[in-house]
Amino acid sequence: MTALKPFLSILLMAILTQNFVLSKFLGICPFLGVSKKTKTATGMSLAVIFVMVLSTAVTYPINTLLVKHELEYLQTIVFILVIAALVQLVEIVLKKYMPPLYNSLGIYLPLITTNCAVLGVVLLNIDNGYGFAQSMVNSLGAGIGFLVAMVMFSGVRERMESSDIPESLKGLPITLVAAALVSMSFLGFAGLVENLFA
Amino acid sequence: MKKFSFKEIAVPAITLFLIAAICTAILAVTNGVTAPKIAENNEQAEIATRQLVFADAKSFSDVKAVEDGTYVEALDENGKVIGYVFTTSDKGYGGEIKIMTGINADGEVTGMEILSIEETAGLGMNAKKDDFRNQYVDNSGEFTVVKSDAGENEIQALTGATITSQAVTNAVNDAVEIFKTVTGGDK
Amino acid sequence: MAEKKSLGKELTKGFLDENPVLRLVLGTCPTLAVSTSVESAVGMGLAASIVLICSNIAISALRKVIPSKVRIPAYIVVIASFVTIVQMLVKAFAPSLDEQLGVYLPLIVVNCIILGRAEAFAGKNSVLASAVDGLGMGIGFTIALFLMGFIREFFGTGTITISLINGGQPLWNSVFGENPILIFILAPGGFFVFGMLIMLANKIAEKKGKEKAQLHSCKACPMFATCTAAEKEDCDR
Repeated sequence: MTALKPFLSILLMAILTQNFVLSKFLGICPFLGVSKKTKTATGMSLAVIFVMVLSTAVTYPINTLLVKHELEYLQTIVFILVIAALVQLVEIVLKKYMPPLYNSLGIYLPLITTNCAVLGVVLLNIDNGYGFAQSMVNSLGAGIGFLVAMVMFSGVRERMESSDIPESLKGLPITLVAAALVSMSFLGFAGLVENLFA
Repeated sequence: MKKFSFKEIAVPAITLFLIAAICTAILAVTNGVTAPKIAENNEQAEIATRQLVFADAKSFSDVKAVEDGTYVEALDENGKVIGYVFTTSDKGYGGEIKIMTGINADGEVTGMEILSIEETAGLGMNAKKDDFRNQYVDNSGEFTVVKSDAGENEIQALTGATITSQAVTNAVNDAVEIFKTVTGGDK
Repeated sequence: MAEKKSLGKELTKGFLDENPVLRLVLGTCPTLAVSTSVESAVGMGLAASIVLICSNIAISALRKVIPSKVRIPAYIVVIASFVTIVQMLVKAFAPSLDEQLGVYLPLIVVNCIILGRAEAFAGKNSVLASAVDGLGMGIGFTIALFLMGFIREFFGTGTITISLINGGQPLWNSVFGENPILIFILAPGGFFVFGMLIMLANKIAEKKGKEKAQLHSCKACPMFATCTAAEKEDCDR
């Protein structure tokens, strides 16, 4: 159990206190754009989790290589290309071998390349000096955090459809105000994880 | 079934490769120009911060590494050691917090500056403010964090940022520990 | 003559009518993330603008060379290179800005505004027009970020601090004394202020007889171009 503690703490922190969408503002485009229905929100989030974990697994050894040859300045360009290529590859593989999965996740895949949450998690893993296992756990946590935020928010938005909203707030403004409230509720987790494992 | 020709497959691939190659070359050149400047900046910042946390020092020795961080000796105009500047770090809320602490020969903290910090703006980031940092100055020994009514050697935690306050304090205490080891534990 | 007139339009359309943040709702991540202070907001605005102008010029100049099949990866390579150059320059000449922007500086590469303008404008127009378009959009982005940063810093800390002015001291004493409205610089405040600004921009647009800012689904995403026809259809559902 004690060996798992640091990993559990990284995981819970990534999901709750350091939520990618609600506290780090990464992946806002899909958060606002694809959260109208819970079903699409879930599909998008699962695709994001998948790509996040996969890109971390691939970029980690590449980064070790870059650091070894003192080519750190190529990080951004190499990572974004790796992510873009990976997304294309996953799309082709899924289409050919797993059509059911492709049908539920496929349409979100091309949109993930420019999702800053994916590149963000890869860069933050390096910034934080995480090892391979920690990076993987952090990416998984960030992805799950994204899922939690998306699904919760889509629930809020589905409810909002039937409520009476002041004319000038209709559309995007009320969505952002709702996002502010959801984000405020996540502030309540502050300190929880740290004290849990203290 | 469409037949793939040279033009359809190879030309785009070669073009893309060329663009990537040119871009990489430009980056390599820019890196060659900026890398020394960045290294110099970091060094300058370190020296400037050393002077801030230990204003009385005229010069500093070379950097020495110990288990929990690094330190330099603060020297007066005759080259006599009058104190130390320690660089230590601890994990805060948003990432690693790196600080520099100056401690004089009597074991009193002469100053504390934050080198790098990634805490929440408006909460943990307040650790950079003088009000918080000055709590350590002119005190010696172990510091403890309290939420209110800070007394001797007690640090009043930042509002809404207990974890940050604790992390900074841990790092200062690390500096005090190293100081004890370096001076032979007689202080 | 006609060219001149349209260039002026290209420039000013990004300020308000087609403001990338407040009207097209692009680049929302950095808008929310770095707008906790005027300084970091404007710093991000300028850094992204430089990348946008440079990448627009380069992509427009290369538009006849880049085969359309590989244009998206080619755009990404060009943009990523400029982002890295800007990152190195900021680290070398404005280290404090680098510290404030942190991971969001390299993340300019996935700022939808830049790839979006490459795909929607620079890949089809002349170098001059693309440069002007980049400048206008960059200014629009910076204006939006400045507004966000000003409101959030003003209410959240009660004062404005810019390190280049007044020696890094606050420009005036906090108007809220010891108790500024802290929530404004925390995450919820970001969403809230952004929502209010969009509402305001909507009002102005309505007066001019234009549509409200739309909540985009995948269509606004520059990567939408790479979706297959079936996927595009799915996207509308």
